[in-house]
Amino acid sequence: MRKSTFVLSSLFLTASLLLSACSDNSSPEAASTGTPASSAPGASTNSAATLSPEVVPAGALNEPFTATDLAKLPAAAQKRTDTIIVGLTDPSGAFTPYFQESGYDGNVSSLLYASLVTVDDKGVPTPELAESWEVSDDQLTYTFHLRKDLKFSDGSPLTAEDVAFTWTLQYDKAYDGGSSLPSLKVKGGEAYKAGTAKTVEGIRIIDPQTLSVTLEQPNATALVTLGSNVLSKAYYGKDYKFGQLEYIKKLHEKPLGDGPYTLEKFIPGQEVRLIANPNYFKGKPKTEHFIYKTTSGDAWQFLETGEVDYASFPATEENITKLKELGYVNILPYTPSTYGYMQVNLKHEQLKDKRVRQAIVYGLDRQSIYVDAAEGAGAIANIPASPISWSYTEEGINPYKYDPEQAKKLLDEAGWTVGAGGIREKDGKPLSIHYLASKSKSSDIFIAVAKENFAALGIDFQPEIFADFNSLVSKTESGDYDLVSFSTSMLTDPADGFMQFFDGEITDYDNPKFTELYNKALATTDIEQRKAVYKELYQLFNDELPVIFTNYKKTVYAYNGRIENLSVSPFIGLAGSLPNWTLK
Amino acid sequence: MSTYLTKRMLYMLIILFAASLLIFCLYALTPGDFITGNIKLTAERKAELREIYGLNKPVLERYWTWMSNAFHGDFGYSLAQQKPVLQLFGDYIWNSFLLAAVSTFLTWLIAVIIGVISAYKQYSWFDTLVMIAIFAAMSLPSFFIGLFLIKIMAVDLKWLPPGGMTTTGSTAAGFAYFKEVVQHMTLPVIVMTLLGLGSLTRYFRSNMIDVLKQDYIRTARAKGLKERKVLFSHALRNALLPAITLVGFELPALFGGSIIIEQIFNWPGIGQLYMKSFGLRDYPLLMGFTMFLAILTVIGTLLSDILYRVADPRVRL
Repeated sequence: MRKSTFVLSSLFLTASLLLSACSDNSSPEAASTGTPASSAPGASTNSAATLSPEVVPAGALNEPFTATDLAKLPAAAQKRTDTIIVGLTDPSGAFTPYFQESGYDGNVSSLLYASLVTVDDKGVPTPELAESWEVSDDQLTYTFHLRKDLKFSDGSPLTAEDVAFTWTLQYDKAYDGGSSLPSLKVKGGEAYKAGTAKTVEGIRIIDPQTLSVTLEQPNATALVTLGSNVLSKAYYGKDYKFGQLEYIKKLHEKPLGDGPYTLEKFIPGQEVRLIANPNYFKGKPKTEHFIYKTTSGDAWQFLETGEVDYASFPATEENITKLKELGYVNILPYTPSTYGYMQVNLKHEQLKDKRVRQAIVYGLDRQSIYVDAAEGAGAIANIPASPISWSYTEEGINPYKYDPEQAKKLLDEAGWTVGAGGIREKDGKPLSIHYLASKSKSSDIFIAVAKENFAALGIDFQPEIFADFNSLVSKTESGDYDLVSFSTSMLTDPADGFMQFFDGEITDYDNPKFTELYNKALATTDIEQRKAVYKELYQLFNDELPVIFTNYKKTVYAYNGRIENLSVSPFIGLAGSLPNWTLK
Repeated sequence: MSTYLTKRMLYMLIILFAASLLIFCLYALTPGDFITGNIKLTAERKAELREIYGLNKPVLERYWTWMSNAFHGDFGYSLAQQKPVLQLFGDYIWNSFLLAAVSTFLTWLIAVIIGVISAYKQYSWFDTLVMIAIFAAMSLPSFFIGLFLIKIMAVDLKWLPPGGMTTTGSTAAGFAYFKEVVQHMTLPVIVMTLLGLGSLTRYFRSNMIDVLKQDYIRTARAKGLKERKVLFSHALRNALLPAITLVGFELPALFGGSIIIEQIFNWPGIGQLYMKSFGLRDYPLLMGFTMFLAILTVIGTLLSDILYRVADPRVRL
């Protein structure tokens, strides 16, 4: 009796936990409070972006809004003189770059560690810890010159040894982080990983301030990937033996960096307290204390009570109106560097035909789904790049305006004719679309509208919703789908926008012209040349539609009107401007 | 009694063993694993990582590895948090326990008081009003009442903090720290108490009504005992007896955390952490935590059986 009660109750327990998982938003696309999660550890950016607000209207807000009445600022925020508090969904405490799993930890470590190379507001690589660099004519060897007298926050010197150690570590066979450095194919990297070489051959220390690295093939993203954070060899490499990286886990909560701030205290689930680093190479930051506050729930209550100074919201008209009414916040419109798309199962006969894919785009009322129903917090995408990217273009791009007649015509041309019950058929097979998405408000809207749109075209639409992101991906991998909704993670280089076609999930898009252009765009670091190649690629994809492009998201940042010198980079978030923030 | 205990312990071990296998398989068979959700990785790198984490091995082999490590006291590293699972428990469980212990205590206290009074004054205006109020509180969704209280008490009136466990950036220590935590836990405790109160009050009320109709109560009254004595030492003690079984079941709830309440009030508890880990398929943490709850459940049921025996000599074990 007792036994069965227990088994029953444990079953119930597990079942209820499984059920409750339904309400979870675990997909990476749901990560939104605070700054944009600095994508993969190590991977930052390499792109020149021109922020053009006229191309990027965020809902009802086209340009920054300045606080109208600072007297309304809640007392809690009024009292702070040397502390700024920013909400961050969920930092977990793994603050070592290259080893963290969560982008929120990346937000923290981007303040604890400086990079060799960063990107300016326009996205062009600029010197940081590295004073300058050279790229050899064959685009294979990168030589970095470090600044003089660089120091870690404990006062110890930062030299080429530390940089070489940082790179080498990522080629260890036990390295289990998400850095994209190993995919750069540094010469001798594989041999080191296999244990047949004692060092990575391509990494060469020339003198304490200079080192070079040689790749096996040119890659335009290498400069910024290589030029990321530096780990102290004396601290992180003290116990290093090849194939043994367990010891680093013990150092995650005791980071030693060289960035504008150092860790004062981490309180799990509550706060990450940072304090200005006097050894920062650009000089001590202006505001002594900076706190990332864990706010996994709603950010409104904390902004309204002055518990945080900065928060992000979807750019709906309702949110913007409410923020303006607060009076004491400045508002910045912002388009994240991502795009939404539907993966198409190119193995399925009906979707192999380009005309059917085009018909789907023409036949979906994307304006209603992604812009109107999202109350303005979205825009329509037609190419695999965000409007803020330097490579973005609308030249020669078909906007695919909602046109059911055109869609029907294309389907007719493709041989799908209306059969019994209004469903189109070809060779006796009905035209049906099995659609997958994870549970969210936007997928609910999509299904409601798409059902009508597809019915009008004569397509049998069968939606299926998944409780969480992992189960959605798992179902997609099984191949039992026609369309799946996804959003990319933060795109840094324009090449990232194509990653899923090149060596990711989509293996069925086999177009030699695409591969040729993709490699051509990576073979040079010249931005103007790359721009021209990407334009060609975007036009190709816009016509071919190997995936169906859906939407861009729009957000706004609201922050305490007392903060001065604040700007948000689409690529490095707050980290760039934070050392200059002051409270007036 | 001691042979009984030995037998029970043996059963408990078997149950826990079976439960661990079942739970492990359920988690392992949930679609997707820790690597699946990371869309930034190439297929090649995904395979490499599955090899490093051992996720490409058969489920039973993985279970065996987990079990033998657990027997050596090693519950593994959380994949997502990059910390030992036991350290994470230490970081989060006590925060959840604090909320649960205080609200459980208050729930029981208030439920007993209201239950006794409304049973004694059955169908009085007090009884009717309190029962209506309690049903109303019970049927409100927790997120609604939580957000409503935040809006009124924190945002509009600014009497209480809107969430968290301490004031951000606070360096308070000693009594000041204690006061800060009390302020922060007031709202979540109110909500948890309100939600738990209903069923328990009903339970005590109906037990009390049953007991008050018993012959021995009439006898006690007939003996000329004071009404207070009849009510509290004769009636209440007997009415509380069945509730002892509930005590054991409260045990896992005390440490299990509350997913919704912790989310709304931004409380750094284990419920929230568990929720996130599930979405990420952080197996070591999921497995460790679920087994922890399973152990507490088994101990809780044993505890309530023993307590029952202690409280009621008629029960033989």
